[in-house]
Amino acid sequence: MPPESDDPAVTSGGRSDPAVGIRICGLNKSFDGPEGELVALAGIDLGVREGEFLCIVGPSGCGKTTLLRILAGLEPQFGGSVDFTVDTDGKPLQSMVFQEQGVFPWLTVLENAAYGLTVRHVPKDRCRAQARDYLRKLGLSAFEAAYPSQLSGGMRQRVNLARAFVNDPAVLLMDEPLGALDEQTKMLVQTDLLRLWEGSNKTVLFITHSLDEAIVLGDRVAVMSNRPGRIKTILEIDLPRPRDALELRNNERFLHLRRQVWDSLREEVVSLESDENRAPSPSGAPLS
Amino acid sequence: MRRIEKFLVVASPVGVFALWEILAYLGWIDVRILPPPSAVAITMVVMFGEEGLLDHTAATLLRFFVGMAVGVVPGVLIGLTMGIFRWFRAFTNPLVALFYPIPRIALFPLVLILVGINETSNVIMIALGPFFTMLISAMYSVLNIDRIYRDVAENFETGPRHLYTLVTLPAAMPTLMGGLRISVGLGLLGTVAVEFLVGESGLGHVIWNSWQVLSLQRSMAGLVVSAIVGFAVYLSMDLLERYLVPWQKKTAPV
Repeated sequence: MPPESDDPAVTSGGRSDPAVGIRICGLNKSFDGPEGELVALAGIDLGVREGEFLCIVGPSGCGKTTLLRILAGLEPQFGGSVDFTVDTDGKPLQSMVFQEQGVFPWLTVLENAAYGLTVRHVPKDRCRAQARDYLRKLGLSAFEAAYPSQLSGGMRQRVNLARAFVNDPAVLLMDEPLGALDEQTKMLVQTDLLRLWEGSNKTVLFITHSLDEAIVLGDRVAVMSNRPGRIKTILEIDLPRPRDALELRNNERFLHLRRQVWDSLREEVVSLESDENRAPSPSGAPLS
Repeated sequence: MRRIEKFLVVASPVGVFALWEILAYLGWIDVRILPPPSAVAITMVVMFGEEGLLDHTAATLLRFFVGMAVGVVPGVLIGLTMGIFRWFRAFTNPLVALFYPIPRIALFPLVLILVGINETSNVIMIALGPFFTMLISAMYSVLNIDRIYRDVAENFETGPRHLYTLVTLPAAMPTLMGGLRISVGLGLLGTVAVEFLVGESGLGHVIWNSWQVLSLQRSMAGLVVSAIVGFAVYLSMDLLERYLVPWQKKTAPV
């Protein structure tokens, strides 16, 4: 990696750096809330390297999901700039992996997995062949005719992953896709995700509230500040690949990195907590 | 379903009829006002044989199905369009608010003047209830689609045709089925009501006409046949739901 892309704040936007796949400059976003304007993001500067797995952690309500939704094209109104400089090679630019409810309950596993191709008018045979390929890799072949309601939470999230991977985009945007799963299932799906991604050269932005998950999966971990969200620090995760989600947790390097990320995040969480305890509640009465 | 539940499903209606028969036999209820099931059944058989009760039943069913089709199909199409397009909703919603609350049967004289005393005006009257019910449930079924499904569709750059067939319509289907169940009841109500008023055929005509000549057993026989028709139609809704909403776990009680 060229040294200049280590700088999270990519400010000189003139020459295109081949290593940067997504260039986010001075990104602002606010919503009209009941108590006036709510600033969700205040000046996000972030350069996402092409082909990297970047995890974003932050205290709840810091605007992680808003950031991802802007990148996914679901929030058209924002300030600042977002440039996708990633080489798409004729493939779709980005696909989002939503939280657990994102799988269509009325489509079968196979139809869900093939959704992206179907709506791009890819011939049905090829849709199915490509969808089946990923379902096989995720151990879902036997369930291709099942409806999501007949699956466990872990399997549903594998369908969700399959839908995004089958679409074969250059960038994958993942919004806490494993957040609702229990610890054991989460580790298994993480392993599946790593296996699919390693060797796919896709750029991934992965939002999570779990530090372990961020370190297990990511090449870098970006820590966001309290609302209004900014990128506070970015840590390199220099654990060797391919990684094993189950083995890694006892690795000494892992524990060291975990402490580093936590130190950075803790200040934000602590200040968020004390804000909530001291600030008057909306009605004016002090809390507890 | 567990065995005991299967038994209870059959036991409750049979129990009611048995009680009714016994009370009539004991003379605790006046058989001139409430003829016992056995008497009604005999009258029914006679009427099927000699008085063309089968033709009346067929006439009712035909009116009902034509009226349902005339009401449900445009109701669903307009309702879905209202749910999907804001401008169309803004344009049509005041009209719905204006016409929906009018007691529909009060429109009958107007329809008769405009259309004439014929089968067309009957069908219009039958169709009105299902039309408004389907229109409103179709509109809300679209408006209540979980935002995440719209987001997924948008993120995958779904075109209008696929948005409609793969997302909007299936997402709306469970609510539409609920609306259809209510529409079926309204359609049957409308059919019998119309037959009371102008019909020369149909179960409504049999029930009303028999009552006017104070033949309560025949009136009751017509009632029983229309109840059976309603029951059959309602049960067929379960089959339709299993076909149209196959992804939902079946919750049908019978």
